[in-house]
This record gives sequence, structure tokens and C-alpha cells, in this order.
Amino acid sequence: MSLFDSVMAGLALVGNFEAFLSLVIGIVIGVIGGAIPGISATMAVALALPFTFPMAPINGILLLLGVYKGGIFGGSIPAILIKTPGTPASSATILDGHPMAERGEAGRALGMALWASCTADFVSNLALIFFAGFLASFALSFGPPEFFALILFSLTIIAGVSGESLLRGALSALLGLLLATIGLDLVYGTNRFTFGDPNLMGGLNFIAVLIGLFAIPEVINMVWHPTGHVGKVQKLGSKWVTFAEYKRCFRSIIRGSFIGVFLGSIPGIGAAPAAFLSYSEARRKSPNRANFGKGEIEGVAASEAGNNGVAGATLIPLLALGVPGDVITAIIIGAFMVHGLQPGPMMFVLNVDIIYGLFIGLILSSGILFIVGGLAIRGFRPVADIPKRILMPMVLVLCIYGVFAVNNNIFDVGVMFAMGWVGFVMGRYHIPAAPFLIAFILGPLLEDNFRQSMLMSGGSPDILLRGPITWFFWALTVISIVAITRGTLRAGRAAG
Amino acid sequence: MQLQLGIGAILAALFLILYAIPNWVSSPSNVRNIVLSPLFWPYILGGLTGLVGLGLLLTGRQRIGGGAPVNEPIDDPRQGMLRLAAMAVLMVASFRVMPWLGLVWTSMLAFVALAFLVRTRHPAAAVVCAVVVPLILYAFFAHVASVAIPQGELVRLP
Repeated sequence: MSLFDSVMAGLALVGNFEAFLSLVIGIVIGVIGGAIPGISATMAVALALPFTFPMAPINGILLLLGVYKGGIFGGSIPAILIKTPGTPASSATILDGHPMAERGEAGRALGMALWASCTADFVSNLALIFFAGFLASFALSFGPPEFFALILFSLTIIAGVSGESLLRGALSALLGLLLATIGLDLVYGTNRFTFGDPNLMGGLNFIAVLIGLFAIPEVINMVWHPTGHVGKVQKLGSKWVTFAEYKRCFRSIIRGSFIGVFLGSIPGIGAAPAAFLSYSEARRKSPNRANFGKGEIEGVAASEAGNNGVAGATLIPLLALGVPGDVITAIIIGAFMVHGLQPGPMMFVLNVDIIYGLFIGLILSSGILFIVGGLAIRGFRPVADIPKRILMPMVLVLCIYGVFAVNNNIFDVGVMFAMGWVGFVMGRYHIPAAPFLIAFILGPLLEDNFRQSMLMSGGSPDILLRGPITWFFWALTVISIVAITRGTLRAGRAAG
Repeated sequence: MQLQLGIGAILAALFLILYAIPNWVSSPSNVRNIVLSPLFWPYILGGLTGLVGLGLLLTGRQRIGGGAPVNEPIDDPRQGMLRLAAMAVLMVASFRVMPWLGLVWTSMLAFVALAFLVRTRHPAAAVVCAVVVPLILYAFFAHVASVAIPQGELVRLP
């Protein structure tokens, strides 16, 4: 079948009202689900899955993909408005999005988040269409040593989100790495800091830590200083993002999109590290780097481009190899199987119409996301106008429900409260929370891949330098550390 | 402040290395290689925490008298500390009574308590929201998202 025939076969599948409606409904559900902390894109996809069983395969899968894409963008809405990321992927958006909201520019931040999300989503979809085969084979050559080198390099992004002091950023990261060790040891199954409590054996719940670290300190700060916000504007604002601002941030958006595509095509990395890496790179390259963390619109653009760049790319290993790139695509693979489809190389031969139908649907989804996202921003407008001393109790209750709903576990609510106090104390001592979170995400991956590598080699460290991929990431790590050290020394000299 | 942080980090590192890791991390006796042991990674992190603490201590000593950021002061720190203590009590109490009272009623009480703790200027609106918001969230999570929200032992919702 020629390319033209394949595209026409795909068009015949999705060129109808039902397919279009499935995509729209999926994106609407995703945006709403993503905007409610604790629901997250993953839960929204899981909730929508049973409803797709009676649908035609292509419509059901398009609906789930719509939920996924809508969910990743939707998470940025509460991240910007109430400093509570709707999904882990939007954690980096808080860094500049919320300060903008505090300045009364929430509308501008949300607008840029939407534009960057749609652009990155489009780039990610194109990458899926053009590079699925190539990137999938590249990702397949990653073993534990390659993952270890990649994650070690990814940890250097901590320098980019450490704010005024690299040492305090490092301390924050170490705290995150330490808390990530809680639970059963993955190799020997022995206890590490579990104190005999079965609730701790699976480690600390990521969502509880995330919400505890970012949202609860805001509530505690309000308790500490109830009138601290008086005089600060917290409104959507009349200013909207302009095309000139989009143009100014375009390089960061495209860079973030490609970072998202690259990390998304490697199974297991996920959208949150991509968002932080994109943010860190944008900060490093931007002439406005001093404004990052204080409400720089380019920071919002880079974070959103990074996490949405992942959305299409995670489908690369899914469609080309049948390997899910993250939890959401693992759920989506279930939908494929329920409909009698087996993702993988053979699908490009046996179900080429569905593959091209999905490609066409995904390209359409970027445009639909732009429209639905724009409406959602206006729909969530009242949130910005709620008096803060009513909003904070609402945030507390929302966080309690959201964190409980992830695992149906009250213990997670306790973890969230405890992390809230940790976040509050960190804030009082000007210790940035972002390095903690990055380290908490990457820590277990780093340790597991290190130990798997050591198991493979019988304890010889030579395996960590076994091939061109590991050399490449080690070189990047060394270059990053040299650049960070030079930058820190230069800043120290400039400060006198 | 940097000095305090440095001292705190060094003490935390010593506590980890000398007490917490030996007592709270268990390792099988037949581990062939130290790098494969469950103890290896926590010890590395403990050591790095000590090094970062040392760095903070040294840079903090250079900065004494200037450069260290100061937190935003409040009018009455004693009142602030009391409110923080009340918040801690509120959190512990919410966590403890949740299985008995249920998520909805606990949330309502926590909402009202927090609204008055932060001295809301809209008490009537706060009470209305305290009732409505948990009920809406209950309806959504229990009936749309099929999450088994704890009902408690007193009043059960449909």
C-alpha cells in the first residue's frame, strides 16, 4: 500500500462526525480532569477507558488520546491559578506561572501555556509520524547503563532550578533523593526507613509529596500571615498573551518540544523531567534568565512545551514496538488490546488504516486543544477572583480529596500534610522545592539503573561506559557540570 | 541563615550515617558487593549531605553580616506561631478523625476551622462553601470517578 493509499484509508476511518466528536469529548474530559488536582491525566484516562469498550476501535482510542493530551494541558490551569499542579507534568509551570498570577497576569500565563502546549503537541505529533521507526529503534538500544547516564545528566537540571544558591538547591535535591529511598529495596526486598509500617513499604506516594510540597505550604503561609496577600493582585487580568511574546518564546518552545519528543520516546522517563529539563535549558539560554522564577513568561512557555512534547512521542514506542512509554500509554495499550489490536511492528502492516487514522486524528487534536483550552481558561476564570481567605480552605479540601483519590488511602493525606510542613520550612529557609521534586522523581530511576548495571557486570563500573550512548551522556554531564561551576564562580566573583 | 542550614545539614548527615541507616535500613548478610547493598545508596546520600552542609557552613561564614536573605517579617510573630500551632493541631486532628467521621464531614469542619484561622472577612460565605464544596467533591469522586470516599461511622451519604 502506497503512502497516499494509507493516508486515504486513515482518512476514511476518521473522516466522520463520530471520530471528531470522540476526540473533542476526550479533550474536554482531559482538560477538566487535568485541572482538578488529584485526578491527573492518568486517572482521567483510566476513568474514560471503560466507556470506550462499546465504541469503534479508532473512536475509542482517539477519545483516550484526547483525554491524555487535554489532561497534560489542563494540569497547568490550577498550577498557575492556585499553585497546585493538576498533574505532575505541570510542576515546572508553577515556577513562573504562579508568580505571574500573583502579579495579576494569570490570563497571560495561561494563554502562553495554551499556545506553547498546542505548538509542542503539534511538533510531537509530527515527530511521531516521521520518526516513529527511527526513534523507537534508538530507544530500544537503551539498557540500564544508558538509562543511568541519561538520568545522571538529567539531574544536572537541578542547577537550573536552584534559584539564588546552588548549595541550597543541592541540599533540596539530596532531601528528595533520601525520601525516595523509603520503601522496600527493589533488589533484595528489605526494608529501608519503613519503621515496620506497611503503608511505607511502597514508598511515599508521588502525588501526595508533590501536592504537599507545592500547595500545602501556600495554605500554611496564609495561616502564618493572613493579610500577607492584601495589596497583591490575584486576577486573570485583562492582558492576554500577544503574538510578539509567542515569537520571543518560540525558540524555547521548539527546544522544549524536541526535549519532550526525545525524552518521551524513551520509555519510563515521563513528562515531568521533560518539563524541568526544558525549563532549565530555556533559563540557561535566555537573555532574561534573571527573571526566571519570578514570573517570566518564557519559563511558562518552556515548561509547557516540554511536558506536551512528550504526549505524542510516548506513542512512538507504543505504536512501533508495542512498549508503553509511561503509565498513560500503558492504559491506552489496554484499549488497543480490548479492541483486538496488538501495537507493534506488525500493526504497521495489518492495521495501517488505523495507524494513519490515529496520525490524522492526532494532528487534528492540536487544533481542537487550542479551542477547548481557550474556552477552559475562560471557564476557570472565577477561580482567580475568589477571595484568598476562602480559596485557601478550598485548596486544602481539594487537596485532601485529590490525594486520597489516588490510592484510596488516608495515609497519603498524612504524607501530604507532613510534606506541607517540610515545604513551609524549606520556603522559610529559601530552599527551592523544584530540585527536591526532580530528585524525588529521578532518584529511584537512578539507583535502580545503577544497581541493575552493577548486577549485569558483576560489580564492575566499566559497564557504565560501555558504548557511544553512555559516552555521549557522560560527556554532556561533564560539560554541564563545568558550565555550572564556571557560572557559579563567575556569579560569586560578581557578587564580590 | 546559611550557617544554620550548614550546621543542620551536617547534623542530619551525622544522624543518618551513625544512627538512622544502621538501624532503619536492613541488608541481607550475603550481599557479595557493597555497591549492590541496600545500604550503599543511603550512605552515599548521607555523605553528600554532609559535604553540602560543609559547603553551606563555609559560604555562610564568609557571608556573616550581609548577603543572607531575610524572611518577610509579620506584625506579631507570637500570634503567627500560635496560628501555626493551631494549624498543626487541625491537620493532626483531621487525619485522626477522618476514618471515624468520614472525609466529607472532616473536610467541612477543616474548611470552617481554617477559614476562621486565617480570619476570613466573609464568614457566611465561608460556612456556605464549607458545606457545598466537600459535598460537590464527594458527588464527583464517589459517583463519577467511582472512588470509595470514606463515609465514617456517624452519618452516611447516598
